[in-house]
Amino acid sequence: MTTAAGVIAPGPARDGRIGWLEQTLGGITESLERAIFTERHARSDGWLQRRDPRIKMVAALTAIVAASLTSSLAGLALLYGATLGAAKASRVPFGFFVRRVWLGIPFFAGIVVVPAIFFVPGPRVFDLALGPAHLAPSWNGLAGAAIFVSRVGVSVSLAILLVVTTPWADVLKSLRALKVPQVFVLVLSMTYRYLFLFLHTANGILLARKSRIVGRTSGGEQRRWITGTMGNLMSRAFKMSNDVYAAMLARGFNGEVRTFGTYRVRPTDILALGGTVIVAAGAVLIGRILP
Amino acid sequence: MHIPDGYLAPAVSLALAIPTVPVWAVATQEVKKVLNNRTVPLLAIFSALSFTVMMFNVPVPGGTTAHAVGGTLIAVVLGPWAAAIAVSTALILQALFFGDGGVLAIFANCLNMGIILPFVGYGMYRVLAAGSPLLSTRRAVAAGIGAYAGITVAALAVGIELGIEPVLFSQNGHALYSPYGLREAIPAMVIAHAFGASIVEGLVTGLGVAYLQRRHPEYLTSLSRIFAPDATSNGVAAQRPLWQLVGAAIAGAVAVLAIVGLVEGGGDPGRLFGADWSKVDWPSVATMLLVTAVMGAVLLPATYLLLPRGVKRIGTAFAALAVFAPLGLIAPGFAYGEGNTEDVNAAFGYVPSGLRDLSGVFSAPLSGYNVPLPFFSDASAPLWHAAIGYEIAGIVGMLAAGGVVYAIARILRRGGSTDPLPEGAQP
Repeated sequence: MTTAAGVIAPGPARDGRIGWLEQTLGGITESLERAIFTERHARSDGWLQRRDPRIKMVAALTAIVAASLTSSLAGLALLYGATLGAAKASRVPFGFFVRRVWLGIPFFAGIVVVPAIFFVPGPRVFDLALGPAHLAPSWNGLAGAAIFVSRVGVSVSLAILLVVTTPWADVLKSLRALKVPQVFVLVLSMTYRYLFLFLHTANGILLARKSRIVGRTSGGEQRRWITGTMGNLMSRAFKMSNDVYAAMLARGFNGEVRTFGTYRVRPTDILALGGTVIVAAGAVLIGRILP
Repeated sequence: MHIPDGYLAPAVSLALAIPTVPVWAVATQEVKKVLNNRTVPLLAIFSALSFTVMMFNVPVPGGTTAHAVGGTLIAVVLGPWAAAIAVSTALILQALFFGDGGVLAIFANCLNMGIILPFVGYGMYRVLAAGSPLLSTRRAVAAGIGAYAGITVAALAVGIELGIEPVLFSQNGHALYSPYGLREAIPAMVIAHAFGASIVEGLVTGLGVAYLQRRHPEYLTSLSRIFAPDATSNGVAAQRPLWQLVGAAIAGAVAVLAIVGLVEGGGDPGRLFGADWSKVDWPSVATMLLVTAVMGAVLLPATYLLLPRGVKRIGTAFAALAVFAPLGLIAPGFAYGEGNTEDVNAAFGYVPSGLRDLSGVFSAPLSGYNVPLPFFSDASAPLWHAAIGYEIAGIVGMLAAGGVVYAIARILRRGGSTDPLPEGAQP
């Protein structure tokens, strides 16, 4: 996948038309890299990595619910402080963790919320008259926007911290502890497995096409090609599912799913969960006391 | 279209699990029934496919790119239940693993993209393609249109979910969650999708089905047998039952009215369907319903027995319309007004002079669709009196209209028309 990126990277889109191909390939490659990157942190020896995955899952959900329930910046700051502390103790690279969240969030959530700053009624911060239009953000609007963006950021941080410090197999197994039906967990884990195969396949198809194209292609041609590729992927999916089913049958699959769960909850896990609940309750209560 | 955490209030996020989780349960059962042990690998691999499809960015008119969901394409091949599971699984993976869409918002995202999208898309596809041969162009076009409709309706659902946030959850005048009301959120979502992502989804699905028809017709024949046993494969026209069409039309109209009413009333449930329901006097409505039901129970069988054989069914249907028409009296002053001169004055600031002059020219014998007797049309008469007056006016009107049409038809027929009317049709 690094070779793929290397091949594609040198030629930036000259006519803006073929650009989406690189963009797509770049997206796939990036997500693959990200996935592998995250597994690396999950295997390192840190505080969160040693916690029982089921406890970690419940704690993360508690904190996310608290982030959604609190309505004050102080509560969100408390939650984010705790999240950063946990990330630090788990040897998640600080710059990576903070940047990955806060470079993206203001961009997406922020753009969404900007017009609301000007429309919400209330006292104005300043009033800039631009001809007939008045540029006048209100304090209420700014407060709402700040809380909104922080809440999205804290929620995303918590979800990322959970996934970054937990191997995927453990995330899925702990879903069982939350009473998610076995079939769903199995489908999820198999999807995860074949996802990578499909991404590699799609990557290969794109690269093969890229390396055979000279000159420009029209938008219509590109759309025809992309739908053909999807149909092709679908037919591969059918063949593959038959093969996989045959392989499962050959290994004694009879519809029953058995997993071995060797997780053990230790006192420190209970303490960690208790701490999370206290922080979460605190964050919500601060919102009630301090407006 | 992936809603992140923080946009929806936790109460809304969790409330959306109420429709989502049962659909998952039913979908699992439905898919198991036809596939038994094969379910797991097939669903897993199609989830991976859906995930991969969401990764493809396709250029759209306007210079940007958008990605498809592929829900309708999967629904056309595997059926809507399997598509619901496949897309939902892909969405859960995206939320947990790639941070695309929130963790708490999983139910919302799965409802929009994993359930509403494939079911609307597939339903539309089935209606449009009904009875056409499996490998016809019409099927590919129907799949494309279905996909377009599916993702647009899903966008509408997102708009509603985001739009009710400021209505339900605000503090000190500022919104706690997504800050835009229904008035902003619905057009923003629907228009952005209708001219962008929906086109992509429609094209991808239509061309994808065309590709499968050309290269892998076996997936459309053998599998659709399993997943949608009532689909025709040999071009025999399948008649869609009338009640399904009528039911769909009524449900659609009610949904549209409900949404318009919610937007108009600013999300106040007391003003659902654009009417002010607090003005309704419910006890008198109950009396009126009772009277109407009794009249229906007496009048309808009598009409059916009395009418000549040829017009039995159509006549009874019209009588039913007349009997149940007063139900419209319940609805209090609709937001758009009833069109009297005051409303016209309020809306336009003046009454067209022609209208004012004409309104006095002809005073109808049953003006206001009521019988001009104090019992029926007195201002203080109970609602059920008005209802009976309404019914009498309706029946008289129908008889009059039917009589005029019948007379004209007799005159025309005597005028020398030689082709006989088809069997069963009445003038």
